Amino acid sequence: MAFFDQLWVQNSLIALAYTLLAIFLIRRARSEHWTSAWARLRRDRTGLCSLGVILMYLIFGTLELIRVPTQQSSQSVLEILTAGIPQEKGYSAPLALTSLSVANPKPLKGRHLLGTDALGRDTLVQTLKATRTALLIGGLTSVIYIPLGVLLGLLAGYYRRWVDDLVQYLYSTIAAVPEILMLVAVLLVLGKGLGTMAIALGITGWVGLARLIRGETLRQVERPYVAAAKGMGQSDWKILSRHLLPNVMHLVVIKFVLGFSGLVLAEAVLSYLGVGSPVGSASWGAMIDAARSELSREPVVWWNLTAATLALFFLVPSLNLFGDALRRAFDPRRG
Amino acid sequence: MRLDFASMCPPVFRFRSAPLLAVVASFVLGACSNNPYPPAQQALREDGSPWLVRYGAMPEDPRSLDPQVCYDSVGKRILEPIQECLLEYHPFKTSPYELRPCLLTALPEKVERAEGGAIYRCTLQQGIYFHDDPCFPNGKGRELVAEDVRFAFQRMADPKVECPALSTLQDYVAGLGEAFESARKAGSFDYGKPLAGLQVTGRYTFEVHLSQPYPQILYWLAMPFAAPVAKEAVEYYDGKSHDGVARDHFRFHPVGTGPFRIAEWKRNSAIRLVRNPAYHTTRFPEDGWMPDQEALLRPLAGRSLPLVDEVHMTIFRETIPIFMLFRQGYLDGMGLGKDAFSSLMTPDRNLSPKYQERGVALHRDTEPSTFYMSLNMEDPILGPNRKLRQALSAAFNTQAYLDIFHNSVPIVAQQLLPPGIGGFQPDFRNPYGFDLAKAKALLAEAGYPNGRDASGKILELTFDVNANSADERLSAEFEQKQFEQLGIKIRVVENTFARLMEKLDQGSFQIASGSGWSADYPDPENFYFLYYSKNLPPAGKNASRYKNPEYDRIFEKMAVMENSPERQDLARHLTALLSEDVPHILLMHRSLFALTQPWAPRIQSNPMLEGGLKYVVLNNELRDQKRREWNRQALWPLGLLLGSLLLGTATAVRSYRKA
Repeated sequence: MAFFDQLWVQNSLIALAYTLLAIFLIRRARSEHWTSAWARLRRDRTGLCSLGVILMYLIFGTLELIRVPTQQSSQSVLEILTAGIPQEKGYSAPLALTSLSVANPKPLKGRHLLGTDALGRDTLVQTLKATRTALLIGGLTSVIYIPLGVLLGLLAGYYRRWVDDLVQYLYSTIAAVPEILMLVAVLLVLGKGLGTMAIALGITGWVGLARLIRGETLRQVERPYVAAAKGMGQSDWKILSRHLLPNVMHLVVIKFVLGFSGLVLAEAVLSYLGVGSPVGSASWGAMIDAARSELSREPVVWWNLTAATLALFFLVPSLNLFGDALRRAFDPRRG
Repeated sequence: MRLDFASMCPPVFRFRSAPLLAVVASFVLGACSNNPYPPAQQALREDGSPWLVRYGAMPEDPRSLDPQVCYDSVGKRILEPIQECLLEYHPFKTSPYELRPCLLTALPEKVERAEGGAIYRCTLQQGIYFHDDPCFPNGKGRELVAEDVRFAFQRMADPKVECPALSTLQDYVAGLGEAFESARKAGSFDYGKPLAGLQVTGRYTFEVHLSQPYPQILYWLAMPFAAPVAKEAVEYYDGKSHDGVARDHFRFHPVGTGPFRIAEWKRNSAIRLVRNPAYHTTRFPEDGWMPDQEALLRPLAGRSLPLVDEVHMTIFRETIPIFMLFRQGYLDGMGLGKDAFSSLMTPDRNLSPKYQERGVALHRDTEPSTFYMSLNMEDPILGPNRKLRQALSAAFNTQAYLDIFHNSVPIVAQQLLPPGIGGFQPDFRNPYGFDLAKAKALLAEAGYPNGRDASGKILELTFDVNANSADERLSAEFEQKQFEQLGIKIRVVENTFARLMEKLDQGSFQIASGSGWSADYPDPENFYFLYYSKNLPPAGKNASRYKNPEYDRIFEKMAVMENSPERQDLARHLTALLSEDVPHILLMHRSLFALTQPWAPRIQSNPMLEGGLKYVVLNNELRDQKRREWNRQALWPLGLLLGSLLLGTATAVRSYRKA
C-alpha cells in the first residue's frame, strides 16, 4: 500500500473524486428531469439550509484531507490553519485558564473554546479533524457499494429469471446476518484501517440500493421506451446504460445522501466498539468511546463527548433532511 | 509473572449492574439499609462473639485455582488463603525478604549431592489436615503426608496440567524434564513412576534433588506450584457427571490445607471464603514489624489465624461501584484508580481532608515490577544500530507519559531491577533517559541526521501495540508522538493482546509495547533472566532476542550465587550492560495508591503476598456505627416522588372531569 501512502497520490485522488462529481452534476444538469428538480429544490428552504451545513462539513473535511509536505513529514491544511492554537499538557475545561485538576491546576498556554483532551489537544480542532474520517468513510464506502448495488439491481430487474433469483438470494443472505456482527467479523479478518472499514461497510451496504434499483428497473422495463429500444434492435448493454441507468440515477443520488449519514454513524459505532478508525485518526466514535472513562472522572470531563455528539447531531439530520428534500424534488408526486 | 499492559489500567469498562441493582432494589423495597450483601454464614460464632466478615473487590473471576497452574494475581488472591505452601514470606520482613516455614517444620536443610547439584531435606508438620470435602472418605479431610508433595511435583511434569513453572524448574529439579518428555511421547503421565527430583523418605519427610545448584529453589517452594495436592481431589473433581450429579473441575474446586475454604462461588459475581476451623499451621508472627506498627500489631502477636471468619469478594468489572460502596462503608478497602484520583488526592499527594476526617488511611505500594517496551535485536535496522536504540530511548518522555496516563503515581524506571530486589541501585540513572537534544545527537551519530538516512529518506519504524480500549489507543498515539519528535516516522500497528504476544514470540516486530514483568520471587535472577540468550521465545521471555556473551557469562555466575556483596557487584555490571545496549525502553515500576477504612487497618504490605487474607483484622462495632452514620436515609426524594404523583393525578382527574 506504499503507493497510496504518497502525498501526491492521495491529493490527486481527492481532486479526481471532486472533478468526477462535478462532471456528473454538470452533465446531469442538462436533462429536464434534473433541471426541474433543481428548480423545486431551490424553493425548499429546509433542503437549502441542510445543504449549507453539509457544505460546511465538506469544506472542513477537505481541508483535513489535503496534506502538504513539510520539512519533517506532512501536515493537513487544517493543521496548518490551526497551528496557532497551542497544545496543553492534559485535560482542560472549555475556556478555562488552568488545566483540569483540583489538586494541582497549572496555567494554560491559551484559551480553548471547547477545552482540550487527555493529550492536551484542542477539542474543537479534533472535532473538525474527525470530519475527515467521516468524509473518507462515507466517500470510500459509496464508491464501493454504489456501483455494486446499481449493477446488480439493474441486472436483476432487467433480465429477471435466474439472474434475479441469484441477486435476490445474495442480498437476502447478507441481509439475514445482523449487520454489526458482519461488520465486526469482516474487520477482524481484514484488520483495522479506514480502507478495510470502507470495504466492510460496502459489503453490507449495497443491499438496500440494489433492492431499490431492482424495483425501479422492473417498473421501467414495462415502459414503452424500452420496448421501442428493443424493437429497434439495440443491444442489452445499450438499453441498460443509455436508457435504464439514467432513469434510476435520481434514486442513486437520494440513496447516496441518505446512506451517507448511516455510514457516518456506523463509523462512530465501530470506533466506539474499538474496531474502527486506527490510532492517530481523529474520529467522533473514538471520542465518544474515550468518554466512557472521562465521564467517570471527578471532576467530569464532558466536553469531548459533547463536541463529538454535536458534530454528529448537526451532520446526520442535515444529511437526512437534504435527502428528503432531494426526494421531494425528484419525485414530487410521492413527496 | 508476565504482566499484560492492560492489567495496569483500570479494568475494561463493561457495565455490571447486579450490585447496583441490589442497592436500588433494597431501597425501593423499603429496606432500612443500603447493604448490598447477602447475610453471612452465621451471625455469631460458637462462643457467642460476633462472626467477622470482611468485604473486598476483585476485577474478574480467577481463571484457574489449580495450584500447579495458577499464575495470575487474581487467582493467587483466592488461592493463597486456601492452599498453603511449603514455605511462606514473613509478612513484615521485606528488606531483605525473609522466608519462613509454613507446612514444613523448618527451612529445608541443604546438603551436597554426590553427582553434583544439591539436596534439600524437608520435614512436613504432623497433624495438618486437608479441608473436609466430599472427595475424601466420609467427607473428612485426611492428614497431609509427603506423598502429596510428590504428587504435586509429578503434576508439574504432566503435560496435561500445563504448569508454567516447568520451563524453569526442569533445568534444575532432577528428572522433571525427562518425566515431561516421556509422558509427552507416551500420551499420558505415569504417576506410578518415581521422580528423581523428589524422593519421599518417610511419612512426613522428603528430599528435593537438584541437578545443579539453584538457591532460588527455596522461593519456588514458597509458591503454589510446589504446594501439596491430594490425589483424591484431582481424581474426584474431573468436571464430569457422576450418577447424574455434575462435579466441578479441579481448577475451580481446590482442596487445600489453608486457613480458608471456598464456601460459595457465584461465577462472575462473588466468592465467599469461610474459615477452616481445623487450621493451626501458622500463627501470627511475634516480631518483624516496624516500630510504628507496634501498637496495632503487638496485641496480635502469637494469635491463632485467621483473624476473621469470612471473606466476601465481589467481582466488579466497573470501577465506579467500588468507589461508591467504599464511600458508603460497604467495602473495607479499595485501590485508587484514575477516575477517583483527583477528587481524593491533594496537590502534595495526601488524602483529601474529607476522607482523612473519616479515618480513611492511604497507602502507597510499589510493586516489584518493571514495565518496558521491547526493541527487536534481530531486526536489520534496530539490531545492529546501538546508537539508534539509544536515541529512541532518550526521545521517550517517560515522566510525561506517567503524568498523563497514571496520575504520576508510578516511578520512572531507570534500570531493569525494581526497588526492593537485591542489586537495585537507588542512585542509578538511565544514561539514555529522556533528553531530546541528546536523542537527536545520537540519531545523527546513528546515521539518521534529522531522521533521514544517507539517501534522504525518512526512517520509518513499526510500533506494535495492543490497542483495544480508548485509553490504550490514546497512549499509543502519545508514544508515537514521542518517537516522532526525532523526525522519524512511526507506523502504529494495532493488535489484539493474543496477536501481540504471538508477534513477541515470533520476533516479528520492531518496537513492541506492552511488556511487563512482576517478580515471581525477590531475587535479581528473576529479572536478569529476561535478557539471557538461552531464554529465547517461545519457551523463554527474552522477547527482545538480546544476545550478549559477556552478559550471559556474568548472569550464569550471578544466578547460582547466594546473596553477597560480590553478587551485588555482578548485578550492577549486568545493569550497566543493559543500560548501554538498550534492548528495551524502560517505562516504570508500577505503584498504586490504596485506601483502607478505619475499621480495617492495613496489617502488612508485603508485595510478595497477594492480600495476606489470614492476617486481616476487623473492628466490627466501628464498622456498624460508621455504616449507619454514612447511610442516613434521605426521605425527601420519596416525598418529591409522591408529591409529583399526587399532583399529576389531580391534574389528570381535573382535565378528565372537564372533558
